Amino acid sequence: MPNHNYKKMANTIISTILITLLALLFLFPLVWMLVSSMKPEAAIYKDIGGIKAFLPSFDIGSWGTAYRELLSRFNVFIYLLNSIFYGLSVTIGSIIVNSLAGYGFSKFRFRGRKMLFGLLLALLVIPGETIIIQKFQIVRSMGILNTPLAVIFPSLAAPFYIYMFKNFFDAISDDVIESAQLEGASMFTIYWRIMLPMAKPAIATVGTLSFIGSWNDYIWPLMVLTDSNRFPLQVAITNINNTQPVYMNQVMAILTISTIPLIIVYVFFQKYLVQGLGASGTGEK
Amino acid sequence: MKKWKLGMIVAAAALSVVALAGCTAGKSSSGADDKNVTMWVHFSKEDPEGKAMVQNITAFNKENKKGYKATVQYIPRSGSGGGYEDKINAALNSNSLPDVLTLDGPNTAAYADSKIIQPLGKYITKKSDILPSIIDQGTYKGKLYAVGYSESGVGFYYNKKMFKDAGITEAELPTLDKPWTWDQFNAILKKLTEKYQGPAIDMQLSDHSEMAIYSLAPFVWSAGGNITNKAGTKAVGYFDSAATQSAFKEIQDMVKNGYTTISPKQKGFQTGKYAMLMSGSWTIQELDKQYKDISYGILPYPVSPKTKKLVSPTGSWQYAMSASTTKTAASGALIDFLSAKAQMYRTSMANTVLPARKSVSDEMMSKVTEPMRFLIKQNQESGHARPVLVKYPQVSRTFAETVTKATYYKENPDISALMKKQAQEIQQYLK
Amino acid sequence: MRSTLSARSKQAWLYVAPALLLLTLFLFVPAALSIYYSLTDYNMLAPQAKTFIGLGNYFKLFGDPIFWKSVKNVGQFVLFVMPLQVGTALGLALIVHKQRPGNTFFKISFFAPVVVSLVVTSVLWLYILNPEQGLLNGILAQFGIKAQPFLTSPTQAMFAIIGISAWQGAGYQMLIFLAGLQNIPSDVYEAATIDGANKWERFIHITLPMLKPTSVMILTTTFIDAFKLIIQPMVMTQGGPMDSTITPVYYIYRTGFTDRSLGYASAMTMVYGLAIIIFTICQRKITGGDNNA
Repeated sequence: MPNHNYKKMANTIISTILITLLALLFLFPLVWMLVSSMKPEAAIYKDIGGIKAFLPSFDIGSWGTAYRELLSRFNVFIYLLNSIFYGLSVTIGSIIVNSLAGYGFSKFRFRGRKMLFGLLLALLVIPGETIIIQKFQIVRSMGILNTPLAVIFPSLAAPFYIYMFKNFFDAISDDVIESAQLEGASMFTIYWRIMLPMAKPAIATVGTLSFIGSWNDYIWPLMVLTDSNRFPLQVAITNINNTQPVYMNQVMAILTISTIPLIIVYVFFQKYLVQGLGASGTGEK
Repeated sequence: MKKWKLGMIVAAAALSVVALAGCTAGKSSSGADDKNVTMWVHFSKEDPEGKAMVQNITAFNKENKKGYKATVQYIPRSGSGGGYEDKINAALNSNSLPDVLTLDGPNTAAYADSKIIQPLGKYITKKSDILPSIIDQGTYKGKLYAVGYSESGVGFYYNKKMFKDAGITEAELPTLDKPWTWDQFNAILKKLTEKYQGPAIDMQLSDHSEMAIYSLAPFVWSAGGNITNKAGTKAVGYFDSAATQSAFKEIQDMVKNGYTTISPKQKGFQTGKYAMLMSGSWTIQELDKQYKDISYGILPYPVSPKTKKLVSPTGSWQYAMSASTTKTAASGALIDFLSAKAQMYRTSMANTVLPARKSVSDEMMSKVTEPMRFLIKQNQESGHARPVLVKYPQVSRTFAETVTKATYYKENPDISALMKKQAQEIQQYLK
Repeated sequence: MRSTLSARSKQAWLYVAPALLLLTLFLFVPAALSIYYSLTDYNMLAPQAKTFIGLGNYFKLFGDPIFWKSVKNVGQFVLFVMPLQVGTALGLALIVHKQRPGNTFFKISFFAPVVVSLVVTSVLWLYILNPEQGLLNGILAQFGIKAQPFLTSPTQAMFAIIGISAWQGAGYQMLIFLAGLQNIPSDVYEAATIDGANKWERFIHITLPMLKPTSVMILTTTFIDAFKLIIQPMVMTQGGPMDSTITPVYYIYRTGFTDRSLGYASAMTMVYGLAIIIFTICQRKITGGDNNA
């Protein structure tokens, strides 16, 4: 039925166009940021009223000017490396710590489990902004001020991520565990060999979100670190954005530098996620 | 089978945390030799200001004859001090302040009142050379607690071409000796507003931060009004006085008549959309570097028609000595060195800011551009320090709220009633 | 069956211990310290000088008009942002879950507001919503609607923030919905298709029920996060105009950090935290989430 096929194709085209328009509604700040980082500041504000705001200038030679000025002002490379180090440590640590806890809450029945989990959810309501001084006092009494540990440790465990992992493990039937146990597997082997691989969507999500959280954190690293060689990129961003006069093209340049790794992490995790699912969809489930 | 593996991980994690918790910070800065001082500053090492500081510290460590050695930690701030101040707060709450620190002018009273910083007047040489506004800013209950190492100022930027096109002649422009009264100022704004069919000036009314009290309090002072009495104990009778009211009326009328707007276009002056802009010295750098096609000048603050008194904003960051330091001699020497003429000159020039000493101004005059020279002069002739109050943040915020409320003229048409209410609001923050 | 379960129970603590230890150190103890601070007149600048004042801060709170105004504001925010943001997120997740050309591009686009700095998005939105030159008023004018004040209006500002927050946050929940969708085995759909179920029926009878744990989790956390709103008003309106966008967490932050009254800020944290817990329990009762936790 060729008629039916045409209709289907027209549908696909129309929906793709609509979705693309929708996507642009979400994408425009990213485009503006990138384009603005390649213009002189005056051009950013002159163009802001129209479509030109989202188009780069014709003078290709000047695209890198803001980046050059930026690099001469700051040692962006060190800040970037620090941020990557904190981000990766927090991501890996957070996946391990929270998935272990999620597994514990999901696949074990122990006294006080419900209450403990309820308490955990209650901790969600504490606004992080309001207890930062108290947190600092703890970190100081632990004696880890001005070490990377002070940045990493407090961001590892998160009630929300535990909740996410628990939800995922809950969806996996207990039969899987029992049959594995019959084959002599220990509970840790089951976690490591069976549960974690099946929780790839959760791992990808928690990984992405905790990396972004760590990457965008500003006040906490600044508070616990005094050695400026250990500062993350956010400190430089805030500085550039607040030291008068503020040059918008340089702000956009450093923001572009700081956003690209996030996009890469996101795309990477998403891709990995889809591949992982291809495998689990066929057999393991 | 692999149970031990997990056990190991957990035990190791638990142990490491416990071990870390056990060994409390072994870094005791006090003790041993009292010649090494540490200092925290609120800017980055990579800024022009930071680079000047690096040079100044090298000079101090080399030139001082007592063998003092200073180390600086650079802690870039966000917005109006956040980040850096959060860190100071945290250090305070765990007793780990450095010997010397920087603080923003308005924090002097609170820091001195809470005994975070100690008087340092006796360590500072050539005090008479320091601008009175800087001394006022650092003085609490008659004692000098902090030394400002630079000044700041605000002026009225104007677009030369737009003025000319609107038929405003050079002769009509105000000078420091003969500033515009608010009436003359309004007449010019009217002309510009009609000519360009839109607001004539960006008064930065969308900025509800410290900028409000900093840039608009001079209107109040020019009218002979005040925020509180001199002792800082009473706002009722001062903030709601007829003089203070007249200043807020002027601001309200500017909005009401469409001369300015509560939602200005971003960089409207820089891109030639507004003929005027009220802004600080930093805009000079911005215009000279990024907006070369705008030909501009700076005009003085307009004055109250009743008093004709020129008043302009002042104030900036300062050095102070923490109360907890035992190395007072070394810390005092460092602060004195950094706020002395040669070092101050280096900082002011590197950062393009107004100087805090008369001698430095004299030296800078021949080396800076005309707009900068104007701001330095206006600052020396008319600078007025912000009030030194323990609960300054609250008072500053209430001032900003009062400005916002006054500019919503439909909701708050009665300035006198508004000021009565706001004066009571401020009153509760005074002791 | 029971016996294997109970045999596992002792081990359970080994798995939850690292997380519990860290949470105790960095969340529970600081929160407990807040309880103590809330009973004192703790001034951030004079930590040693604090004295015990009993329930003084709590009494003060009940007569504090700004606190109650902020509670009212956040109530309005939660009421509108929940359906808007969660609905958008589910819609976006369904779009990108279906394999189609350009899928990666769409995924990046929808998630972009989450990763792009607030500096960028707030500059742009302030521009778009600027009453005098903004794009949105330009568009409205095309339809004959007169210029709106948006963020500069005490009645419209919160709605503007609701819209921006939903736009900014939806990508985050989309990601979690997507993970939930991908966890639904495809053979369930295949079976349903063979049974003759159409798209809509499959969505109602398979997708939604299978997505329930994820939905409950998202509703709960979005609900709690909405109550913790601080960044958007802080950056875009500073709580104004006339306190119309001030939220409790922003007010607590301002009281603690700008005004340095850590004691009073702690008392507000306690009362507000408790209120959110109660609201959340009610919300979970309504959405039926309690069966899952």
